[in-house]
Amino acid sequence: MRGAVAKLTSGGLEFGLSVAVALFALAIALVAVVATGVSPGRGASAFVDGAFGSQLNYAGTFAKMVPLTLVALAWIVVFRAGRFHVGFPGQILIGGMFVSIVALKVSLPAVIHLPLVLLGGMVGGGLYAGIAAWLWAKRGVNEILSTLLLNLVAAQILAWWVRKPFHDPATPLPLTKALPNSSRWPELLTNTSLHWDVVLIPIAVIVVAVLLSRTLFGFRIRVTGAGEQIARHAGLAPKRVGSSAIILSGAIAGLAGASLVIAGVTPAMGEDFGADYGFTGIAVALLARNSPIAVLPSALLFAALAQGGGVMEGTVGISSSLVDFIQGLMIVLVLAATTLLYVVRKRSRARKKPPQARMAPAADLEPAR
Amino acid sequence: MNSVIAAIGFGPFDTDWLAAAIILTAPLLLAAMGELVSERAGVLNVGLEGMMLAGAFFSYLVAWKANSLVVGAFAGIGAGLLFAVVMGLLSIVAKADQIVSGVGVNLAATGLTSFLFDQIFGNRAQVVVPTMGNIKIPLLEKIPDFGPALFDHDILTYIAFLLVPAIWFLLYRTRWGLAIRAAGEMPAAVDTAGINVQRVRWAGVLTAGGLSGLAGANLAIVQVGIFHQEMSAGRGFLALVAVIFGRWTPLGVLGACLVLGGADALQLRLADQSAVPHQLWVVLTGIAVVLALYMVLAKRGRQRQPVALSLVALVAAGAVVLAIATPHVSLPDQLWRSLPYLLALAVLAGALSRSRMPSKLTIPYSRGEG
Repeated sequence: MRGAVAKLTSGGLEFGLSVAVALFALAIALVAVVATGVSPGRGASAFVDGAFGSQLNYAGTFAKMVPLTLVALAWIVVFRAGRFHVGFPGQILIGGMFVSIVALKVSLPAVIHLPLVLLGGMVGGGLYAGIAAWLWAKRGVNEILSTLLLNLVAAQILAWWVRKPFHDPATPLPLTKALPNSSRWPELLTNTSLHWDVVLIPIAVIVVAVLLSRTLFGFRIRVTGAGEQIARHAGLAPKRVGSSAIILSGAIAGLAGASLVIAGVTPAMGEDFGADYGFTGIAVALLARNSPIAVLPSALLFAALAQGGGVMEGTVGISSSLVDFIQGLMIVLVLAATTLLYVVRKRSRARKKPPQARMAPAADLEPAR
Repeated sequence: MNSVIAAIGFGPFDTDWLAAAIILTAPLLLAAMGELVSERAGVLNVGLEGMMLAGAFFSYLVAWKANSLVVGAFAGIGAGLLFAVVMGLLSIVAKADQIVSGVGVNLAATGLTSFLFDQIFGNRAQVVVPTMGNIKIPLLEKIPDFGPALFDHDILTYIAFLLVPAIWFLLYRTRWGLAIRAAGEMPAAVDTAGINVQRVRWAGVLTAGGLSGLAGANLAIVQVGIFHQEMSAGRGFLALVAVIFGRWTPLGVLGACLVLGGADALQLRLADQSAVPHQLWVVLTGIAVVLALYMVLAKRGRQRQPVALSLVALVAAGAVVLAIATPHVSLPDQLWRSLPYLLALAVLAGALSRSRMPSKLTIPYSRGEG
């Protein structure tokens, strides 16, 4: 009973911390808005109006939630396995590339075509993440360094893809042909950017939450995340579990890429259709403190920021780049707040109990490279 | 084309290419040398790109306002340092994950510079500040062909190249350098010797920040005299690649930066050619052969990697065939552009480089836990 209460208050503390971080970042945004000469009331109302004020605006907010939620979940999967990778931008792009193949080279009725296209995106993202997984497991290459490089390579692959093999000869622009309607998500609200892909939000959150907390694979991921040595003692193969987690997260990021391509405003695919979501999604997951359920409000906040900030540029003339700054600021603040929480907890624990033999931190259990 | 240059040049590899390669190498080298010190001290600074961008923006802004390029260059360094302080507070003091910290710094710097740029220059014409003039090195610039290509550059380019011996001296011939290298390999030993590990790592992070800021200043007020949004265009990431590619040594990083800068200059020259010039195949053959020889001769590795070796031999053989046959093929310039990244991946995957990575890179140090 006491354990449950402690867990609850600790969860409350984490939630409160995230809310505090978000409010603090928004306050700084407001200061920046005021500094440009717009009154705080007008700035705030312009923002809320931009994010939720009309059907067009809230449709945009919910549409932006899809890739943010998916990338955040992709991050959570690898994070729980104790692996960090930052390859989401590349996996989004390669996912989109596979989508363009399945969408343009196959013609099928929508009921089969759409799922096949989604599968294509997942396969693309998963395969691309597989390179990083293979390099890590077999060649000992740090997955952060390899994914940073693979992101840059993916951008070049896409630049070539939409100019040479899949270029639409009818346009001088680097674009593919329009993807057929059978391969695209139908619109949920007509004449808005909101498509039926929003159903992926609850599905993906539930699947990842259940996968991590209720399945054998999720258990293996969590044990491996606790430390490779621990995993080995539990009879697991940390390399295999870690690689699977990297590939699975790549597949989820590839699905985000698929949604960006087949639920976008334009029916054709360009060279950069939203790789930036790959980094913003990490911020979403961090603010959600790596909990799949908490991704929902966190993604909503970031999506509202992106949508509202974009509209504000037109209505009150404040550059939408402010949103990028606030996103970066949130990452910085979450990291600082996390340490604060850790220190506070350590102090209160030290006060309650006499010191015990400390367990080595997970970092020390990594094999020497 | 000048007849002398044509006689000396080898297809696209002429003195114009050499001069362009030197100019394009300079900003990479500045940032990479800073990052080298930071990584040897144990801090992987993914925020390099953002620090470079901040350096570019603030150097331009201040150079324009104060009407002085020198003040502008120092403002660039200051901006890089500012973001380095954020990076240090997160990764050294708060012991947060270095990669995520770097991602946050990058996003914040990109957003901040774009925002300020929009607000300040959104509805006014941007002023082009006069760029720094070139300094000719007496005597050396008189060398036919190579003199003008190598010894007629701006001051920051010279500083970038002079940093290589300076950093080498710092790392391998001073007590500070020993402390820096030890902080990345065995911080506990540094602590035992009575040197503050955190302070050493701070020095590394600040060096990377200041030099990345200077690299940004090089881009903005030396090369073009203007700022545009996201003008660093991935060069910060390239500098990170150069440190890996250069296997964490000053000379290696110099070589890597020259390869990346040279490839960049080459890529600019090849973009308007319809077919891959014959000379390029010959040069690629040469590189493959040297690489193969190096792998055979470098027996330091425990096993000699038969798979990698045969792969390199195959590439070399293929390149020889191509050099002789000179087929009329045009490879996409995106391939040339991704060549440095692919090379860096290959180097990482090869056993040769892994042992050189500072073993405590990205791992925060706490007393009694290291």
